[in-house]
Amino acid sequence: MSVTAGSSAVGLLPIQSVGITPIEVSLFIFVLLTAVLTALFRDVLASIVIFAAYSLGLAVIYTFYRAPDVGLTEAAIGAGVTTVFLLLTIAKTTRPASDARFEAINWPAVSICGLFVAVVAVTLPAFPAVGDPASPILTNADVSGYYIANAYDQTGAENAVTAVLAAYRGFDTFGEAIVVFAAGVASLLVLGREVFTA
Amino acid sequence: MSSDPADNDTGGTITRQRPVYTESQVIMTTVKAVIPFVLTYGLFITFHGTGSPGGGFQGGALIASVVLMMAFAFGIESTREWLSNALVVGLGTVGVAIFAGIALVPMALGENFLEYTAYYPVLGDVLGLKEYEFVKYGMEAVEIGGIALIVAGVLMGLFFALAAGVTPPNDTTTPDTESAADTDAASNTDTMTGDIDTEGANK
Repeated sequence: MSVTAGSSAVGLLPIQSVGITPIEVSLFIFVLLTAVLTALFRDVLASIVIFAAYSLGLAVIYTFYRAPDVGLTEAAIGAGVTTVFLLLTIAKTTRPASDARFEAINWPAVSICGLFVAVVAVTLPAFPAVGDPASPILTNADVSGYYIANAYDQTGAENAVTAVLAAYRGFDTFGEAIVVFAAGVASLLVLGREVFTA
Repeated sequence: MSSDPADNDTGGTITRQRPVYTESQVIMTTVKAVIPFVLTYGLFITFHGTGSPGGGFQGGALIASVVLMMAFAFGIESTREWLSNALVVGLGTVGVAIFAGIALVPMALGENFLEYTAYYPVLGDVLGLKEYEFVKYGMEAVEIGGIALIVAGVLMGLFFALAAGVTPPNDTTTPDTESAADTDAASNTDTMTGDIDTEGANK
């Protein structure tokens, strides 16, 4: 995210403003804070609850950047179902008693993570600003431009994302659906069961 | 996974083993009030995937979360008894069959895999639809009949499989595990003994 100074055009359509709005800043701080707290909290239950908040923050960010399909998935799977599965897991296991509220910080791990973040951050200035009309995705839109121009005429779907998922890239989606099915079968195999519900 | 649940009472270092299910009027009432709306929203997202954000994946997850909420409010064991295994398995397998069927029929008609317009020469006059409308309704069929069913079924199944936990390998090493009924009974008894905390909390 390139932070350009002087974001004066904070209007109704923040996606068109080149710069960063206060809403974005607070969302990013929220997501970063919840991500760090998820790692820091000693109590697994607290970590899971904060992790759900992190997923919800991400879902809001996706929706804010006009990707409601991704946001819905993040909210339903990340904040909802994953949290339930993790809660179920800690309910089935035991937790060591400890008075410490926070996990002891593993400094070698922190330095490696910091190094990775630094390497990724070096590439950030190469990205265009959010909503920049001169960005390659808009000036050189061979693929996305084709979808946007033709998706409705060719598929009759108002939601171009679904048109790509189920029509243009239907084969990939078929593979994904089979992966989900295989995950269910594999869970039975690993758990040594023959039925989901007795 | 603790090998022996009885250790939890004697072991001094392991504490705070909470019961899986605690009956709560607040949670039960809330879930009762929320479930119809969540289910409706899940169906809406599923059925309107081509016209608005969402689709089979998100809608299927919401539909499955209805069952997950019921399990949290009314107990995993009672929800497990209420929900038949045939329904959970059927959702997933029927979903795969519908998706694969819709994808494979065009190949039988001499077109490519998932080529929705291949249905047009066959069904166009019968249904009175234009060629591009077959893409739209083909996508709807794949989203609703394929992805949503698979995701809903597998997520419900994963939840109950996870809640039941692992079947110890000594059940499978017994020589006469060939008959399905035998292993079924064995896994059932294991569920009863393995879920002491659950059973105790239900009282």
